[in-house]
Amino acid sequence: MENLKKNPIVKKIGLNRILLVCVLIIMYVAFAIMSPTFLSYSRILSALNYVYFLGFLSLGVTFVIATGGIDFSIGPVMFCCALISGFCLTNYGVPMVLAMVISLLVGLGFGMFNGYLVAFWSVPPFIVSMASMNIAKGLASVFTKAQSVSWPQSTSAEGWYRNIVKVGNIPVGLFIFLGVAVICAIILNKTKIGRFILCLGSNKEAVRLSGVNVKIWEMAAYVICGLLVGIAAIFFVSAYTTVQPGYGDQYNNEAIAGCVMGGTSMAGGLASISGTVIGVFIIALLQEGILALGMNKNYQLIITGIIVIAAVYFDVLGRRRKN
Amino acid sequence: MTNQKTVTAAKKQSSLEKLGGQRFIVLLVIIGLAIFFSVMSPNFRKYTTLVSILDYSYYIVLMSIGVTFPLITGGVDLSIGTGLICYSLVGGYLITFHNFPVWGGMLVTVLFGIAIGILNGTLVAIMEIPPFLVTLCTCMITRGLGSIIVGGFGITWPTGTQPGAWFRNIFKITVAPRKMLPIGIVWVLILVLIMSYVLKHTKIGRYTIAIGSNKEAARLSGVNVKAYHVTAYAISGLFAGLAAIAYSAVFSTVQPGTGAGFELEAIGGAIIGGVSASGGQGTVTGSLLGVFVICLLKTGLPFIGLQANWQQIITGLVLIGAVLIDVIKKRRGIE
Amino acid sequence: MGDVILTMKGIDKSFPGVHALDHVDLEVRRGEVHALMGENGAGKSTLMKVLTGIYTKDSGTITFEGKEVEFHNTREAQDAGIVIVHQELNMLGHLTVAQNIFIGREFKKGIGIDDRKMNEEAAKLFKRLNIDIDPTETMSNLTVGKQQMCEIAKAISHEAKVIVFDEPSAALTESEIEELFKIIRDLREQQLGIIYISHRMDEIKVITDRVTVMRDGTYVGTLITKDCTKNDIINMMVGRVIYEDPKTHSMVPKGAPVVLKVEKLNAGKMVQNVSFELHKGEILGFSGLMGAGRTETARAIFGADPKESGKIYVNGKEVVINTPEDAVKNGIGYLSEDRKRYGIVVQKSVAENTTMATLAKFVKGIFIDKKKEEKVAQDYVDSLATKTPGVDQLVVNLSGGNQQKVVIAKWLTRDCDILIFDEPTRGIDVGAKNEIYKLMNKLASEGKAIIMISSEMTEILRMSDRIIIMCEGKITGEIDIAEATQENIMNLATREIG
Repeated sequence: MENLKKNPIVKKIGLNRILLVCVLIIMYVAFAIMSPTFLSYSRILSALNYVYFLGFLSLGVTFVIATGGIDFSIGPVMFCCALISGFCLTNYGVPMVLAMVISLLVGLGFGMFNGYLVAFWSVPPFIVSMASMNIAKGLASVFTKAQSVSWPQSTSAEGWYRNIVKVGNIPVGLFIFLGVAVICAIILNKTKIGRFILCLGSNKEAVRLSGVNVKIWEMAAYVICGLLVGIAAIFFVSAYTTVQPGYGDQYNNEAIAGCVMGGTSMAGGLASISGTVIGVFIIALLQEGILALGMNKNYQLIITGIIVIAAVYFDVLGRRRKN
Repeated sequence: MTNQKTVTAAKKQSSLEKLGGQRFIVLLVIIGLAIFFSVMSPNFRKYTTLVSILDYSYYIVLMSIGVTFPLITGGVDLSIGTGLICYSLVGGYLITFHNFPVWGGMLVTVLFGIAIGILNGTLVAIMEIPPFLVTLCTCMITRGLGSIIVGGFGITWPTGTQPGAWFRNIFKITVAPRKMLPIGIVWVLILVLIMSYVLKHTKIGRYTIAIGSNKEAARLSGVNVKAYHVTAYAISGLFAGLAAIAYSAVFSTVQPGTGAGFELEAIGGAIIGGVSASGGQGTVTGSLLGVFVICLLKTGLPFIGLQANWQQIITGLVLIGAVLIDVIKKRRGIE
Repeated sequence: MGDVILTMKGIDKSFPGVHALDHVDLEVRRGEVHALMGENGAGKSTLMKVLTGIYTKDSGTITFEGKEVEFHNTREAQDAGIVIVHQELNMLGHLTVAQNIFIGREFKKGIGIDDRKMNEEAAKLFKRLNIDIDPTETMSNLTVGKQQMCEIAKAISHEAKVIVFDEPSAALTESEIEELFKIIRDLREQQLGIIYISHRMDEIKVITDRVTVMRDGTYVGTLITKDCTKNDIINMMVGRVIYEDPKTHSMVPKGAPVVLKVEKLNAGKMVQNVSFELHKGEILGFSGLMGAGRTETARAIFGADPKESGKIYVNGKEVVINTPEDAVKNGIGYLSEDRKRYGIVVQKSVAENTTMATLAKFVKGIFIDKKKEEKVAQDYVDSLATKTPGVDQLVVNLSGGNQQKVVIAKWLTRDCDILIFDEPTRGIDVGAKNEIYKLMNKLASEGKAIIMISSEMTEILRMSDRIIIMCEGKITGEIDIAEATQENIMNLATREIG
């Protein structure tokens, strides 16, 4: 193990990520052996549909967790985005492009709200999350009068939007998702925003005493998260078209799970976009694999829960050893 | 130096005063809301409305009493909502499909709650995993587990003339045709008194506060902090179990996959009632009052022609407001 | 002084890479106040942690009341009668005084706790100690001094036979210290053995009977306090007469311009009407005892904490500083006393820390120019002789002195003309200390203006061109280095203020 860690290639990519990829491959092979239908292309497409929206959520929350905060309002906020913009689309005749913009704006609005309260008023992130979760659910229900909203089908005039997920059998969404992930990685690792987000997650006071306006950067993380949640909403409806008010909680857990599994530390200061991407793939694969085995979604919930606890426990252990 | 600041900050307002103060304000809010809804809607003034408000409040109040303990340790328990459904499903399943006596089913329900509570506590206190992450995971796990155990179908606890339906009388007895007596409130209040006593005058309560206040200091004083930390979560689990019984009694049918969001009302209530988000501070009666604000809103809003969902938005804003007041007070103290 | 109650003999303790205690001896008698002295890192705290069961010793024996003992945790030590009053207070702010005193061993009444009895017992304790504290008061409402009294009361309530005071006076005011000494004398009367750890020489002379001196984890010797002089103790602590020659005269050229002027600065109790001037090329020492308000003054000037009133002029122009951001814009840099908390981001690299205050300079387009960043960081690593395998090394892996150099580099990249060094050599070994001193002198000679807050007298005398002395939040004096002596500085630092 020690020798392996010293290998320059391993060092460059990171042992964690290599292990994660191995897990991904092993899972894929295992499911393929257990269930012959698992290898079909439609299964892959279905898994990818799950990857998209979950992936954007997970990317978003990675920024927040990097600051040492948390946002578990993302699932309901995503639904709120999809419901409000969808309702505008179907009931007020708003054009498709504008509806998408509305979705982004709603996400952005929640991001700003969360970030402002956390950064400028030092309200604990988990309280802010709880509040926005309530507000998002309530707002969506009130706005849509508690009715579900169906976005247009592919065949209808406005159906072109579904092409962002899939054109024919080509999973366009995958390329968009990976593209956005690359942008996120660049923001996190190569720009001032990312640098300050990571540093303040590690030691906020030291960054503040370096003359940096930490409040702005902390808020920025939540705003980025909000925007990505808005994008996630668009991909959710593009894949599934129908959204119901009052739901979305479970996606919080899965998004955070993807992020934490990928090696982003709950203590803040340490985040990996590529890890998050792999983490999301693992969760989507798990979901699809379990369905392929004829089991229901509940097994996936349990397994994901256990995996996350294990992942965080190793993070905690690692830190304890360092101290 | 910061130490001194907190000292002077706290000096300006005794924390006891503040707690009493906050509870007093919340009580005023409850009275105000009750008067407001009564004036706005004649239907609201009916006895049946009172009964239904109470019906809706039991399970949230019970969860809230329990979750007050982990909150005071500086943690949180997000698993109580889906947990409640899971325990209720399993208990009801045993009664309806495995001929368990009702009391047996109830016992299993509560024990299951305690078990998950202990699991949470162990992961938090002994393995030192952040509490909200642990409970977020057990939230997922209980959600899945409940469905799997019962096979994914809704479960109906005994009702009407079925044998075992007596358990519903714990919360509501029919004294005359169409006249119900909500005696559940009596049990709930007794539990509130008991847990108030536990929090204020027993080791469990004392050390729960100590953990939230300064865990290391408590440890150095020879307190077995891990054990009491686990206990706080076990209490939360126990009350989630009791809440499950209340829920089954009031609604009788339990659907798998639901329950997410219940915990927010319970935790929100506790925080509105004066439990500090950073731990060390809080009262059981405060949590009770906080929950009643939420329940009143939820039941009252439809009476004035607003969707019940407005309650969620208002709850969210009130929650932020309650914490903001705390933050602002502290800042003033420092400056 | 009575018979021997506690003997520690040949105590040895190693941590990975450090030999913390090397066969240390200590002997305490009944009815004695025994001082334990030594520089930072001499091993006093480690020895006390071994005594009270926090650490287990590698070898050696502890004899308590004639029996050999070994404690595995503080509880066991407490039960035997050995209690420590910590430097950092271990209080539970949300509980009452009585609840704090009896935490972990509450009186029971049925299934509950007998709070009334606890209050009564606490009141009795306070009466015995002649302290006026209400047992039902919430702990966080008390002053630091009173909290300390509660800690002592707690120690006594354990039926303690030996009490260890770990720098008890650090956070206390003059009158509180008086009160503390009265209590300690009372305890001595009651035939308790008391171990007193302090850096304050005058206190040692006043309160203790014997002094044991440690140096670098070894036992140096034990003296009877009244038979020895300050110099004897200092010589034992440092192992030589004095560090180095003090500066004899100011190095600042006559007529050097004033770069920073502070007028009537107020920020809470710890900063009252502070006014002073700082010249180009000057090292201005801020001396005073712990808690004199020096760090608070620095933080207020730097905008780290809010101030109530006062004006700050930089290069003759009045400036508004409300946040560290403002201060940095005006060319002020602050090197905190607590590097790990306020100075560096330990989990980030040397390069990332170096450019923390100046990241905008390293942004090309939207990207951070890592090559430029690394080059600049490397330049500073070279010029400051920072010992690090590379600029991509995480700061956590560097030694204290080298971490300090990274912080200095951070401010140098920013071209700050005014640098505030708060305890610049705290926790840094002697060799690295000298390097930091050389560096500060070099910076001053290049025209930087430096404020140096230091609690070490030798450091103040060696480095400063001029010395400002603070006491209880006020400036009590200003001395040119040519006239400065330990005595007149200490005099001003402890002056009674009416």
